[in-house]
Parts: sequence; C-alpha cells; structure tokens
Amino acid sequence: DKLLVVPQDGSHWLSMKEIVEHLSERGHDIMVLVPEVNLLLGESKYYRRKIFSVTYSLEELQTRFRTFGNNHFLPGASLMGPLREYRNNMIVVDMFFSNCQSLLKDSATLSFLRENKFDALFTDPAMPCGVILAEYLNLPSVYLFRGFPCSLEHMLGQSPSPVSYVPRFYTKFSDHMTFPQRLANFIVNILENYLYYCLYSKYEIIASDLLKRDVSLPSLHQNSLWLLRYDFVFEYPRPVMPNMIFLGGINCKKKGKLTQEFEAYVNASGEHGIVVFSLGSMVSEIPEKKAMEIAEALGRIPQTVLWRYTGTRPSNLAKNTILVKWLPQNDLLGHPKTRAFITHSGSHGIYEGICNGVPMVMMPLFGDQMDNAKRMETRGAGVTLNVLEMTADDLENALKTVINNKSYKENIMRLSSLHKDRPIEPLDLAVFWVEYVMRHKGAPHLRPAAHDLTWYQYHSLDVIGFLLAIVLTVVFIVFKCCAYGCRKCFGGKGRVKKSHKSKTH
Amino acid sequence: GRLLVVPMDGSHWFTMQMVVEKLIHRGHEVVVVIPEVSWQLGKSLNCTVKTYSISHTLEDLDREFKYLSYTQWKTPEHSIRSFLTGSARGFFELTFSHCRSLFNDKKLVEYLKQRFFDAVFLDPFDVCGLIVAKYFSLPSVIFARGVFCDYLEEGAQCPSLPSYVPRLFSKYTDTMTFKERVWNHLIYIEEHAFCSYFLRTAVEVASEILQTPVTMTDLFSPVSIWLLRTDFVLEFPRPVMPNMVFIGGINCLQKKSLSKEFEAYVNASGEHGIVVFSLGSMVSEIPEKKAMEIAEALGRIPQTVLWRYTGTRPSNLAKNTILVKWLPQNDLLGHPKTRAFITHSGSHGIYEGICNGVPMVMMPLFGDQMDNAKRMETRGAGVTLNVLEMTADDLENALKTVINNKSYKENIMRLSSLHKDRPIEPLDLAVFWVEYVMRHKGAPHLRPAAHDLTWYQYHSLDVIGFLLAIVLTVVFIVFKCCAYGCRKCFGGKGRVKKSHKSKTH
Repeated sequence: DKLLVVPQDGSHWLSMKEIVEHLSERGHDIMVLVPEVNLLLGESKYYRRKIFSVTYSLEELQTRFRTFGNNHFLPGASLMGPLREYRNNMIVVDMFFSNCQSLLKDSATLSFLRENKFDALFTDPAMPCGVILAEYLNLPSVYLFRGFPCSLEHMLGQSPSPVSYVPRFYTKFSDHMTFPQRLANFIVNILENYLYYCLYSKYEIIASDLLKRDVSLPSLHQNSLWLLRYDFVFEYPRPVMPNMIFLGGINCKKKGKLTQEFEAYVNASGEHGIVVFSLGSMVSEIPEKKAMEIAEALGRIPQTVLWRYTGTRPSNLAKNTILVKWLPQNDLLGHPKTRAFITHSGSHGIYEGICNGVPMVMMPLFGDQMDNAKRMETRGAGVTLNVLEMTADDLENALKTVINNKSYKENIMRLSSLHKDRPIEPLDLAVFWVEYVMRHKGAPHLRPAAHDLTWYQYHSLDVIGFLLAIVLTVVFIVFKCCAYGCRKCFGGKGRVKKSHKSKTH
Repeated sequence: GRLLVVPMDGSHWFTMQMVVEKLIHRGHEVVVVIPEVSWQLGKSLNCTVKTYSISHTLEDLDREFKYLSYTQWKTPEHSIRSFLTGSARGFFELTFSHCRSLFNDKKLVEYLKQRFFDAVFLDPFDVCGLIVAKYFSLPSVIFARGVFCDYLEEGAQCPSLPSYVPRLFSKYTDTMTFKERVWNHLIYIEEHAFCSYFLRTAVEVASEILQTPVTMTDLFSPVSIWLLRTDFVLEFPRPVMPNMVFIGGINCLQKKSLSKEFEAYVNASGEHGIVVFSLGSMVSEIPEKKAMEIAEALGRIPQTVLWRYTGTRPSNLAKNTILVKWLPQNDLLGHPKTRAFITHSGSHGIYEGICNGVPMVMMPLFGDQMDNAKRMETRGAGVTLNVLEMTADDLENALKTVINNKSYKENIMRLSSLHKDRPIEPLDLAVFWVEYVMRHKGAPHLRPAAHDLTWYQYHSLDVIGFLLAIVLTVVFIVFKCCAYGCRKCFGGKGRVKKSHKSKTH
C-alpha cells in the first residue's frame, strides 16, 4: 500500500523514522515529504523522498536552531520565563510555518501528490501541515505525537481533562496538587486556549486558502487515529479516548553491540562504571562558564563520564571525562556498568533511561522536558537540576545521590519492569495501526460523537439550563399558588389589617 | 502464581471460563470459589473448586429467574429502575446474599487466607468478588460487560458525558436530540438517586463482612484492571481510562466442524440456507400465544430455521422449523449457509453475530439487551423487534428484510472485518493482564489521582468559587471606589437635588 509521510524535522522524527522503516520492510511503498533544507530528514533506502523548496537557507535553519538551543542558558527573570520561552520557541516554530506555507503554495508538488493515489497519510500534528494536506488530498490519517503545549491531543481528540488532577504543560505539577497548584492549573488551562490560538490561527488562514472554504483547524483532526508516545509508567493516568494508541518507549528497542571505541571506554572504567551524559541532538553548545562548572563536577566523581558534546572543550575537563561528538545512547544505557544518565529529559532519553533502568540526573531545557523531569522525580527515579542556577556542587551531589542511594536504582528498576511488561511491542502496535488505517480507510467507528456537539451542548449547559428553568417555573408557580392560597385563607385578616392601617393613617 | 477466582453464575461465566481455563493451562494455581448450588459454575474445571453452602436451592434461583424473564413477555419494564426494583428484585436479593454465606463458612475463609493469593479475578455483578478482594487486601481484576449504575464513573473515575454517552437502558445512541439529552440526564440523576436503594443489601452485606461501613465506590476504587467485554465496533466511542482493557469478542472463536446432526440440517436446507434462532441459555420458555405467533412467522420464510427452545412445542410449528434443546451457536453462525440470526441480543450472541458476519433480528428482553440491539440497529446490521407488541407479520418482515436487503449483510460484514482486525487476540490480552496484576501485585501506576479528590475538588468547584470570590471582591471594591469618587466629584449637585426634593414634598 502507498503511504505518504509528512514528518516533523528534529528529534520528533527519530521515533517516526523507526516506524516508517518498519513499514517499509513490510513491503509498503512509502514517500516522505521533505523540505529541501532540513536537519535530519536524510535519504534512506527505506523510502522515497519528495522534496519541496522553502524560503530559508540551511545556514538560517542551523542558526535558528542554535539560537533556540543556546537561549535556554540565558539567565533571566522567572516571571517573564513563559513569555521568553514562547518567543524562543517561535524562532523555530515560525520557520516551520513558513515551510508549510511554501508547501501548500507549491502547486507542482501538490498536483504530484494528488496524482499519486496514496492510501493514507502519516504525520506529526505538532505543526498541522500534514493535517491540512490530509484534508486536501482526502486521505485517512494517522498521527504520531508526544504532546506539545495545549495538550493538543486531548483538546482535539475530545478526551476530558479535569484540571483538578491532570496537570497542564509547563506547570511542573504532579497529579496530586495543592489548592494553589490547582488554582494555577485552572488558569493555565484557560491560557492554553489562547496559546493554541497564537500558535495555530495562522494555519487556519492558509488552510482556508488551500481548501477554498472556511476551515476550523480542530475539525480537520476528527477522523484520525492518535499514536501517542505515552506510557503510564511515566505519564499520570488520565481519561483517554478509544482512538488513542499508546506507544511510549517505542525507541526502547533491542540493544546493538557497542563499537570497539565505546567498548574500550566502558571496560576501562573499572568497578565504578560509567555515567552517560547527553543533552540531546538539538543542543550543541553550552555557555563556557556553565560548561566549566559541569566539567568540574564531573571531575569529582569516580565514574568515567561519556559526554556527548559538540561545543568547545572546557579547559578544566578532568581525566575521567571523555568528550564525544556522538554516542550510542541506548546501547550505552543498556550496559550493566552504566551507573547514571545525565539527560535534558527529552522524552526519547527518558524512555531509554526507563527501558534500561538507569537512574537519572535531569537538566530540563525546554518544551515538555520540565514536566518529564518532574514525573521522574515524583517517582523517585531521578534528581532534577535547574540549569540556570546549578553549581558544580549541586551536580556533584545529584550524581552521588542517584549513584549511591539504592532507592533510585530500585525505583527505576521497578518502573522498568512495569514498562517492559506489555502484551505487544509498541513498534509492532504502531505498524499495526498505520496498516489498519490503510486497510480500512480510516477508523470512523472510533470517532466520538462529541465532535458533532457545540461546547455548550457537550457540557450539557442547554440541558441544565432547561431543567433549571423548569424547576424555577415550578417553584415559582407553587410559590404563587401558596401565596394565593394564603391570601384566600387569611384574606379576611389581611383586609382587616389593611383597613386598620388606613384608619390609623 | 496463585489466583483466586470469584465468578458470577449464568451466561456471565461462559466467557470468564475461557480466561480461567487458559490461566490454568498456563500453569497457575487457580482456586475458584462458588456457591454449592449454581447453573453453570465449576463444571469440568481442572482446578481447585471450593464451594460454600447457601440458604436457597436451585429451584429458588430458577423460579426467580423465570419470573424475571417471563415478565418481559408480558409487562414492559422500560427503565433500569423498574427492572431492577421490579421483576429482577428477588433474583438480585438471592445473588447479593451469597457473600454472607461465603463468609459464614469460617473454614473456607481461613483456607483462603492461608493460600496467600497474588490476585483476585472476579465478576463484579454480585459484588462478592469485590468484597473478597477488599477483605483479603488483594489486587483485583474485574471481568465484566459493564457495571450497573454509575460505578464506571465513580469506581474507575471514568468521565461519562451525558451529552453523548447514552446511559445503560436508555436505548439512545451517541447522537441524541435535545429531548433525548434531557432524558439521558434525568436517567443519570435517577440512577444516582435509586442505585443506593437497589444496592443496599449488597452494601449491608459488605459492611457486615468488612466490619466497617463501606460504599460501592470504596469497593470498586481499588480495582487494578478492568477487563471489559467492549469493542468499539459495537459500543459507541467514549472516554475511557488507562486501566481499562477492552476484550469485546473474546468469544469469537475458531469454528469447529458441525456435528452430524446439524450438518445434516444445514445440508438439507438447499439454496435458501438456514436461520439460527436462540434466545440464550437463560430463557427457557415463552408464553404459548407468543410462541405460536413466532412459529407462524418462521413457517412463512423459505429458509430452514434451527430454533433452540426447551419449552412446549407450539402446535402450529411449520415443517421448515426444527426445535432443538441446544445448538452449537458459534459454529452454526460461521457456516456460509447461515442467512440470519434471531437473537435476544445478549452480548455474547451479538459478538458471535458480528464475528461471523450474520445479519440479526433482535428480540431484546432485559439487561443490556435493548442497548445492544439499538447499537446494531444504528449500524444497519439488524432489525429490532419489541417482543411484547410484535405480530407474526412483523417477524416475517424483519426476517425477509435482513435476508433480502443486501445492505444488512454488507454492514455486518464491514463491522466483522473491523472487529476481527486487531493486534492481539482478546483472550490473550485478558490472560496477559490477569498475569500482569499477579506479577506486579496490582497496577498502582494506572490508578488515577482522581480517587483522592472529593467531588467538588474533582470538578474544581472550590477553585471556581475562589476565583469568583476574587472577581466579585474586585468588582465590589472598584464599584465602591467609583461610587465614592462620583460622590466626591458630583457631591454638590447630589445634595442640591436632595434638598430640592425635600422642598417639593
């Protein structure tokens, strides 16, 4: 069958790529729609690429990503934090919008896609370009998603999210909140609607242009299947919908063997073992002062540290710390000599940590990372550091704690055993559901009727209003009747009184 | 592992038995606890079966159930309230009393305590399994088609929006008119009001055994996993919780070849094929007049009808109708010569119909049967008849419609292909989750934090109240300030006016 893939560049692509490759191995004909300037969407034997042109250069793309990454180390007032975070995200998000704009105006590419009769479309809906395209090409679609601000999947998928125990993005709350936290969560929930508007209203305009009708973006998401990179070992339990499939830990695949280089490092580490340190594929540089502090802390522990870092080598780097441009993260984490994992707590890294049962020291930077770190912390499987404020001592203490305090290892092993105990591998599940949508042209029987209701109907406000009106009417009538009855019964007296009054007057 | 099974008698046991048998086959030590008198329980089980004596006989049970099912042919009981407090009352009282008998058997209780089970696998229908789980503080797995009243909402904290989730017994679909939504609400409110009355015996028994006052919610909320015989091909999509596992169609088995007797019937049916007719294992008799009408209608169709019926043979039975005491329902439905299925639309029969792709004529009698019938009807896969009002003509027409109108066959075949297309067999899934709970001593990570909130916290009423209070205070202060400001500015005039007034007076 023919599958069109509209990916999201950056780390999001990493898990989608695995599914796509697996689908290709099963004999599906796959085409990936790729902007000519991109980071990770390279050529592959598993799929063909359809390239469309964009208005920015590779240099600009790299500069934007670098700025985006580096900005997280800027010190700043916490009050303006969310706003700065938003602006910083927009550096990258704006670029994706321009890329979508170019695609939807590229009539040659669009007609090429139309003529290639695809069976389904597979996309990451963080940026809804693929969603709009699915509507335009009239294709059933499957989404792969981790969650982005706004709890997009639940907002658009119609799962109820009680603010009382479902913490919102960026709040760093757990599912047990105090009254002030619930209050804040309530307000953030309201702000999320505004954020959604800020992020996506532009897309409605280009979608309306393309489809030649007024488009409301949420209505385009109604018939899809959501493959969510969730696992409730990590995520807090909450209401979900039948068209959501949970694939958390899809990247926890079988370990490969270490290369000779890394094998040598690990063997040389002796009884103390190693610590794996990576801030993910998106962060390339750390401000020099911060890097030196980190290097100092790393020098103080007995373990060998493998640090994936592409920036300038800190001058005070200790002997036990080895800088590498790239490391086989999952394979290293799976090695029995690995004692801890220093991570930016991106979802891929966290799941690999859970999968391999390695306690974590977390330095969240942006996006869902603060929330991820919070979740691991509440489960006693890691320690979170604030990258802006942390000192060398903090990092040293955090590392010694997770390595020497047995409870961290026990907790992460418990999570790991729960996480890996599942009836079917997430990768197989993902492949199954993409194929399902291709076979059945979507999954309309999983579409909740909630999509057909207005918000006040959904919350039954009209029904409640109606019932209230009836109750009030009845109360009113009963009251009037009583009043009338009273007047009849005690009428004489009343009149007497009145006449009495008028007399005295 | 060691598993304690507390099942429910009757047709409920058919599918649960499959899971229990498979668990025994996989080498678990299973102990099944049942009353000494029952219809179906404990037959041919290759494990330890513990019985306890009860105060009533099988005849008592038969009489109560016959009264329940017989009533449905004479006087309609349209609402859950009239059913549960009407004809079903006596049956439920008998069922709820079982648990008291179980715990009166001190030797049995001691035996169960000594076995140190890993988990309890239970049918919540008679509440006894829930009490047992709570008494021995064991993690539990529920096996059910659904639960009465609002215990899916209360017990699992699964939101159920009355705007598009029809209540049990309402016969509504997921798309309701305003009027239907109002009624759906009223049913919801009614359930709230009368369920505690209906379940008071069960709650009394539970409180007595646990020696502390409990509510149904207390009994349901510790449940680790809910195995629900739901498939969204039949059920309307609605919010669900992560600890719910859907195993609808668990009884959709591989067909076996027919016995010689039935093979002969089918072969003799010629080009017209056969119609399978069964009102389930629980209904043995139909009032004579009704039976004659049915027999008359069956005589008017060209198909051979195989009718499972244990009552008196209707005198007007036509040649094409064969009465049997028992029939291999699933195997017959799977035969390509089967044209239609006349069913009471119990969930087992419905799933077998979907599984084998046979259009249905439905005569719902009680319980969830009306709702099942409604669901199949809205999907265009069957016709529903009202057993009280239907005439021979109605039945004849219904049969001819589902057999001759191609759309019924097409719709049921579409549902069948969606239903059977799943990543893992429901039986394997059920076994997996029971073993999961045994392995991990429950599934605490799937327990929503909503259980720890009061109802007003859950709905954030305290937060809303607080915010409202703030807003009102601010408005009040602003208003007062303005008023004060106004008085200051226009103070002179005001006083002038007043004095003016007093003059005219």
